[in-house]
Amino acid sequence: MAITRDPKFSNLPEVQPDGSVQSPATVGNTLWSTDDPRAYGGLPLEAHPNLELARYDATGDGRVDDARWGGALSAIPTKADVVLDLIRANSLWPLLSGLACCAIEMMSTATPKNDIDRWGMFPFRASPRQADVLIVAGTLTTKMAEPLIRLWEQMPEPKWVVAMGDCTCSGGRYKRSYSVVQGIDRVMPVDVYIPGCPPRPEGLIYGMMKLQQLVKDRRGHWPERAIGPTVPKGI
Amino acid sequence: MTQQMRPSLDDPRVAIPAESSWYEPAPIPQTERQAEFLTLREGEMFVNMGPQHPSTHGVLRVIIKVNGEKVVDLDPVLGYLHRGVEKLCENADYHQAICYTDPLEYVASLFCEAAPVAAFEKLMDVEVPLRAQYIRVLTMELNRIASHTLFQGWMALDLGGITPILWAFIERDEIVDMLAALTGQKLLYNYYRIGGVNGDLNHEFMSRLGTWMSRAAAQIDSNLALINENEIFVRRTRGLGVLDAKTALKMGVTGPNLRASGVPYDLRRDRPYLVYPELEFDVPTRDEGDSLARYLVRMDEIKQSIRIIDQVLHEMPDGPVMAKLPRLLRPRPGRAFGAVEGPRGVYGTYAISDGTDQPFRMRIHDPSFVHLQLVGPLTKGNLIADTMAVMASLDPVMGGVDK
Amino acid sequence: MDRRLAALLQEKFGERLLTPVRQRYDESEIRVALADATDTLRVLHDDPALRFEMLIDLCGVDTGGEMQVVYHLSSSTSGDWLRVIVPGLDRTAPRIASATFMWPGAEWMEREAYDMFGIIFEGNRDLRRIYMPDDYRSFPLRKDFYLADDASRSPAAGVRNMERAGTPADATAATVLRKSPGV
Repeated sequence: MAITRDPKFSNLPEVQPDGSVQSPATVGNTLWSTDDPRAYGGLPLEAHPNLELARYDATGDGRVDDARWGGALSAIPTKADVVLDLIRANSLWPLLSGLACCAIEMMSTATPKNDIDRWGMFPFRASPRQADVLIVAGTLTTKMAEPLIRLWEQMPEPKWVVAMGDCTCSGGRYKRSYSVVQGIDRVMPVDVYIPGCPPRPEGLIYGMMKLQQLVKDRRGHWPERAIGPTVPKGI
Repeated sequence: MTQQMRPSLDDPRVAIPAESSWYEPAPIPQTERQAEFLTLREGEMFVNMGPQHPSTHGVLRVIIKVNGEKVVDLDPVLGYLHRGVEKLCENADYHQAICYTDPLEYVASLFCEAAPVAAFEKLMDVEVPLRAQYIRVLTMELNRIASHTLFQGWMALDLGGITPILWAFIERDEIVDMLAALTGQKLLYNYYRIGGVNGDLNHEFMSRLGTWMSRAAAQIDSNLALINENEIFVRRTRGLGVLDAKTALKMGVTGPNLRASGVPYDLRRDRPYLVYPELEFDVPTRDEGDSLARYLVRMDEIKQSIRIIDQVLHEMPDGPVMAKLPRLLRPRPGRAFGAVEGPRGVYGTYAISDGTDQPFRMRIHDPSFVHLQLVGPLTKGNLIADTMAVMASLDPVMGGVDK
Repeated sequence: MDRRLAALLQEKFGERLLTPVRQRYDESEIRVALADATDTLRVLHDDPALRFEMLIDLCGVDTGGEMQVVYHLSSSTSGDWLRVIVPGLDRTAPRIASATFMWPGAEWMEREAYDMFGIIFEGNRDLRRIYMPDDYRSFPLRKDFYLADDASRSPAAGVRNMERAGTPADATAATVLRKSPGV
């Protein structure tokens, strides 16, 4: 029995008579989404006891950077800013979020041959509450996106994201895949992109040095970012 | 607050919210086994070792049902790294499909390339030149040593030791830099082609290999002494997760996990491929079947790999490293199964060709996928921390498990 | 060795084989009908002359007209390899008996075949999705499930925002292609 490709099931999209392309065969997500009224215990934002951070963010009080002068004087850089930024830059503790192959290169960066402890980044924290940087190393799939976003939300400010590897920058070699998020900047704000498949440890170190520069210059997403849960709606 | 409050069970004077599951509603069991798992008896509770965990070898979620500290049942949830490789391979041609298979078992990616290449070569009746076969064996054995060294470090890391993983990475970086001098890449080599390999050995690679070989055995022995003679390591792994031969065969286990249970099955011996019929090596087997045996079998395999590399270097012939093939490959319709003995077990690829330039179906069989089913049965009755020891001794790589 | 195996298989299963035993390189292949699959596997496992006690792989295949389930078996004592193809599963409602009665390790492989193709394995105690999230409604490896590129809508795009292609449905080349002025 010869195996043939039935032309009816070719891989090209079928064009309907009215010119539109075949619509997705999936039906609604009934398990969980951020819009689900049950998602936060069925309570509105104002009444939920654990969403104080989100309410705090809505007031706008937290936008003030404590390490700077307030109001019009914030243009003056003080010594405290510089010292704080220097401290933060030289002790960025990454969160252990190695997902796939880039995690091996991340581990290789942490080990004696390419020692990232020289920059203070050796302690890879297992708990997001203790971490500063989320180095997303490895392919992010749609199933893993929800836990990763939850980890991101649990990290305390100030925090940064480094997209390591091609898969996190843009989807990489899985560009057409049905289950890979095409770049983590679809789900979280990224500060540094490190391309490569996998990037060499030297490449990761260069990226982290760029991040240190961002921290010292107060560039990137952190100063303007919202405080509290920042998951985009309808993820 | 409109939240319902109830007194805490620990201290009735403290009020806590009555409903505590915000994010996920209680799962509705869809199958018989799931219903059995989700039924809690007296004193049992669920502990979630989430996808992000320092010891789950990647993104694996394990829902453990514990009674106190003892594990009663275990349900691994996979799919957090499912990238759709099989579907992508169907939409790419034969050369590109090999490139997609690299990141599956990313610590041993030459084996991930060798299996589809073997299957495609069977489909196309391509004969690989002898020098290319020797180079493939050489690089595969180097990759096996790198993978087992990493396993050694990881196993110690999962049991709590930080030093061995640093030492393991020193070892691994030496081998991997060698392979980088040869293939250009440290991790996802993309070196094997249908009909041979991408480039011949070069001077940089040979000099690094010579330097490494001269002190490899002694270095590995000293690394081993650090862990094998450590009382904590041995007492935690001896007798843990005993897998007998009959269960192993029924569960589809292959590779060092099967050899540690007493069945001396090794593809290099029982269904030889490439130049393995001409090489002399032993197949280390142990009878106990516990985690310590699985660990020791892999350590013995490192020594056998060094022996193989030695023989290959002495017997390597001259010649071309790539067969002459047309650029557009259209095999005739047919089916082929190519398998190699990877560091985790039998890594196989079942390729179906329909006469066009794209594989019709490329099924990848990864041994870690099958081995993860064992974590539940092997950990019953042990402590939560023993889950890590058992999982580490089975050596799964989540890239291959989730494809 | 191969002819011996072919003769043995022909003798044991004679009338149940849909095609003669095919051998190529070091593999042998037989095809059996859907109704005979369980018996064939049982004989292959138990018979003292065959002793194929290792199940190496279990997978589904969608040929476009029908579905198949393919078993790869191996013998740890004699080193023989065998492929058993069970064709004839209906594409709209594929069902086959599970192999977990003999090999409990087939449970997850059947779960994967269900997740990717929708093949129902009767007798598998845990037939639920393994790779895709539980609420996913398509079966990705079927031939009528095609992959998206940026300009198309396909069943591969799920309902979540992050699963959709980046360009909107009404995008035209003029709006999508970036023009670099002055280059």
